[in-house]
Amino acid sequence: MTTSDASTSEVAPDKPRRQYDLDETGFNEVPKKWRKFYRHWGGPGDKLGRNEVVCPVCKIVIRSARELRPGDKVYCMPCMSRMIVVEGPDDHFIAEVIF
Amino acid sequence: MPSDEDFDPHVLAEDAFIEEVQSFQFWFGAVEGYLTGQSYGHDPGMADPPLDETQRERLITTLCNYCVGETAALEGASGLVSLAPNHPAKIFMATQVVDEARHLEVFLRRLNDLGVEDTTTEIVRRANPALTEFKDALMQLVAAGDWDAAVFAQNVILETMEFTVFRSHAQNADPMTAEILEGVISDERRHFGFGENDLGRRLAHDPEGRARLRDVRRDLDGLVLGVFEGALADLEVPAADRHVLGRDYLETVERLGLTQ
Repeated sequence: MTTSDASTSEVAPDKPRRQYDLDETGFNEVPKKWRKFYRHWGGPGDKLGRNEVVCPVCKIVIRSARELRPGDKVYCMPCMSRMIVVEGPDDHFIAEVIF
Repeated sequence: MPSDEDFDPHVLAEDAFIEEVQSFQFWFGAVEGYLTGQSYGHDPGMADPPLDETQRERLITTLCNYCVGETAALEGASGLVSLAPNHPAKIFMATQVVDEARHLEVFLRRLNDLGVEDTTTEIVRRANPALTEFKDALMQLVAAGDWDAAVFAQNVILETMEFTVFRSHAQNADPMTAEILEGVISDERRHFGFGENDLGRRLAHDPEGRARLRDVRRDLDGLVLGVFEGALADLEVPAADRHVLGRDYLETVERLGLTQ
């Protein structure tokens, strides 16, 4: 499987990104090796980490093993969407679908 | 042991991502997660206390209409396999055929559980006319060989409606029906996601195609409203709450640039 730097931020980082150890949270709608990168969203009261963003298409939380930055590209495997991370209100990221 | 980095989905190249998520290999790994150990979509040891007659009647009507929708998607997806413009889309559509057949099977089996023996007759008797008309419209688009319009009708409109209605229903359903619905909802994420993303890519540089799909949407919107209203009335969703449930569909058509 080929890879690229699809998740590289277009914004110059001013400090190193925090790394996250991801564990499975019970989300089981993708093959085993990808499961820790996604979790069910608990609704508006669900506090997102700086490595998380809600997929606007299927409302699953997308997770990254490193801190996200505006301009990062992330994939939602459960609904096959590609999106770009943008800064949202209340100190959390939102994602915009790209085609 | 491979590190997170080795499996990080977010670093995949775009073509590799599409090939991965539209593959049968991905589908096997996905459904293994939530269907293993189930029998006809639920835990085989699950208790199924009888419903009162009013609840039973209402559920039978709802399930009959789910069967109409799933039959539409099964027949539509079957036809779309031959129309798919590339191999990943063809393979994905074949996985959707399998999903839709499973959905029809579990809903038919649930009707049997509720005492309906002649499901074919009961489905015809209780079908929402708007849903039947929508199914006919979808099949005409498939028969015409119109991939874009058929994917829009099936994977965007029909699948988004089903996802919305099933999620609403699962919150209030009896435990067995709720578990069946949860498995179906997990499948639907792939179906409407495929529709939006496949069309989004195809329409990105095709303003004429987008204008044409706006016309298709206009033609179908009356039926969509009728189907939504019927399904949500059957589920006793208060009229004041129904517009909220149409939000996913409206957001999708907006992202695709198909609003007026």
